[in-house]
Amino acid sequence: MGRTKDAEPVVRLRNIHKSFGANHVLKGIDLTVGQGQHVVIFGPSGSGKSTLLRTTNLLEAPDSGSVWFDGKEYGPGIEGEDLPRGKARLLREEIGMVFQQFNLFPHITALDNVALALRRVRKVKRDEAEYKAATYLDRVGLLDKLGAYPSQLSGGQQQRVAIARSLVMEPRVMLFDEPTSALDPELVGEVLAVMRDLAESGMTMVVVTHEMGFAREAGDLNIFMDEGVVVETGGRELYDGAREPRTRAFLRAIL
Amino acid sequence: MNSFLVIPVLAQARFRPEFIWDNRDIFLGGVRLTLFIAIIAFSLATAMGLAVALLRMSKSRIVGPIMGAYINVFRAIPLLVFVLFVYYGIAIQFDLAISAIQAGILALTLQYSAWLGEIFRSGIQAVSDGQRQAALSVGMSRPQAFFRVVLPQATRIVIPPMGNMFIGMIKDSSLVYIIGVPELLRVSNLLANTTFRYFEVYLATVISYLILTTAVYFGVKYLEKRYALVDVLTSRVRSPFARRRSAQLLKLQEAVTTSRGSESTSGRDSA
Ligand SMILES: Nc1ncnc2c1ncn2[C@@H]1O[C@H](COP(=O)(O)OP(=O)(O)OP(=O)(O)O)[C@@H](O)[C@H]1O
Ligand SMILES: [Mg+2]
Repeated sequence: MGRTKDAEPVVRLRNIHKSFGANHVLKGIDLTVGQGQHVVIFGPSGSGKSTLLRTTNLLEAPDSGSVWFDGKEYGPGIEGEDLPRGKARLLREEIGMVFQQFNLFPHITALDNVALALRRVRKVKRDEAEYKAATYLDRVGLLDKLGAYPSQLSGGQQQRVAIARSLVMEPRVMLFDEPTSALDPELVGEVLAVMRDLAESGMTMVVVTHEMGFAREAGDLNIFMDEGVVVETGGRELYDGAREPRTRAFLRAIL
Repeated sequence: MNSFLVIPVLAQARFRPEFIWDNRDIFLGGVRLTLFIAIIAFSLATAMGLAVALLRMSKSRIVGPIMGAYINVFRAIPLLVFVLFVYYGIAIQFDLAISAIQAGILALTLQYSAWLGEIFRSGIQAVSDGQRQAALSVGMSRPQAFFRVVLPQATRIVIPPMGNMFIGMIKDSSLVYIIGVPELLRVSNLLANTTFRYFEVYLATVISYLILTTAVYFGVKYLEKRYALVDVLTSRVRSPFARRRSAQLLKLQEAVTTSRGSESTSGRDSA
């Protein structure tokens, strides 16, 4: 499934740097994501994977480098280039994000979680927004949970609502930050099933995960990150034939 | 109360509960003004407290510390002293067109805005940053993320401490008696000093405050229950709202289920 690197690029990060105080977290990251491509990012804790995803949708502003999306520049940019600049808020409408801790809005129902942005960002009328939200909840198998609040749902159900909340905005790209690592083992499968369906439907995806079954199956482009740099990238063969000793050591440790 | 005769001190050793009833209009007038002052001052202090909290959390190196100082100063002054200062020290001294009631409300508002500011700040900070990130990630603006996602959650967190603050406000509003505002304590003092029926008068005063604060206590309990998160589809709550909403949701489920068959693309997923 998915397409390979020669697909038309949707997102391109070039030479991204990001520090928190003296902590240099991203040290010149380059990443091009093609239309329909499924990118898997893995690496040790603290290597900057989450920061990289948050930089991609400008939840975190990079210190330098280019965040290019669909013809526009959203980051500081590259010296000498003069691309039209885009607004971070509009970029985020086009890029969905799923968080490790789900981050559902606990004070409103599952239905309202999914309908909120339709109503407030897209200004869709209430009835219409709720109908569309319900179809997306149906798509993740939760039509019977419309009226439930997040605290009344299992972790797996919460994460599926969170996926619906992003998908309902019909994003061009979906970012997943360890979507299953906060889940009890028996709940991982239901979330991965939704993600597989999404991958098969042709969605462009960037997934930080240590679920190697999913990664081997869905990852068209696989990236090993360590200490703020991309150590190695490769296709499906990466998992069995990594060249870098650091990649091999990491894969051995988690498999 | 003018119609009441002054009774010799020794003659009134016996407890006369009907004295309270006979003077109910005086007490009720005081209660009314006490409530008026407490509600107005608390509303103003709530609005100002929210502003104080937001400014306090500002990233600016000037605004944040200034609001920090504001909070510390107003919390450090005894309220009674502050009431006297605002009325005699400022309003009267500088001949401002401010009545005693207004001065009292101003003093209460300023001091409570500092307390409430700190409560709001801790409430807002108790909402995890992930909430803000999730709101932004679906395309909401920063103000939308704050007002639609963070603030409603902070509001739930601060309802119990705010209830306590409102109870405090009712009690503290008694301090404006010192500048002659005829609220509950002031009218009680006047009545006691003219009739010498101290026990009856202050018993009625105590009971009045007790009723007011207890009412607020149950009001807060009601709010907490009212805003409890219940799934209208599965709970047995029978409020008209819950019934209407659950009917809407059932219709929505039905509409989506029906459309499933007709649109081959949006089939029901696994899981
Ligand atoms: N908002 C922040 N403020 C300060 N430091 C941060 C912030 N976010 C991340 N960091 C730091 O940046 C480094 C990389 O963090 P990041 O969360 O990107 O790593 P990660 O690869 O996602 O790790 P994990 O597998 O544990 O999720 C860490 O040292 C972390 O402490
Ligand atoms: Mg992370």
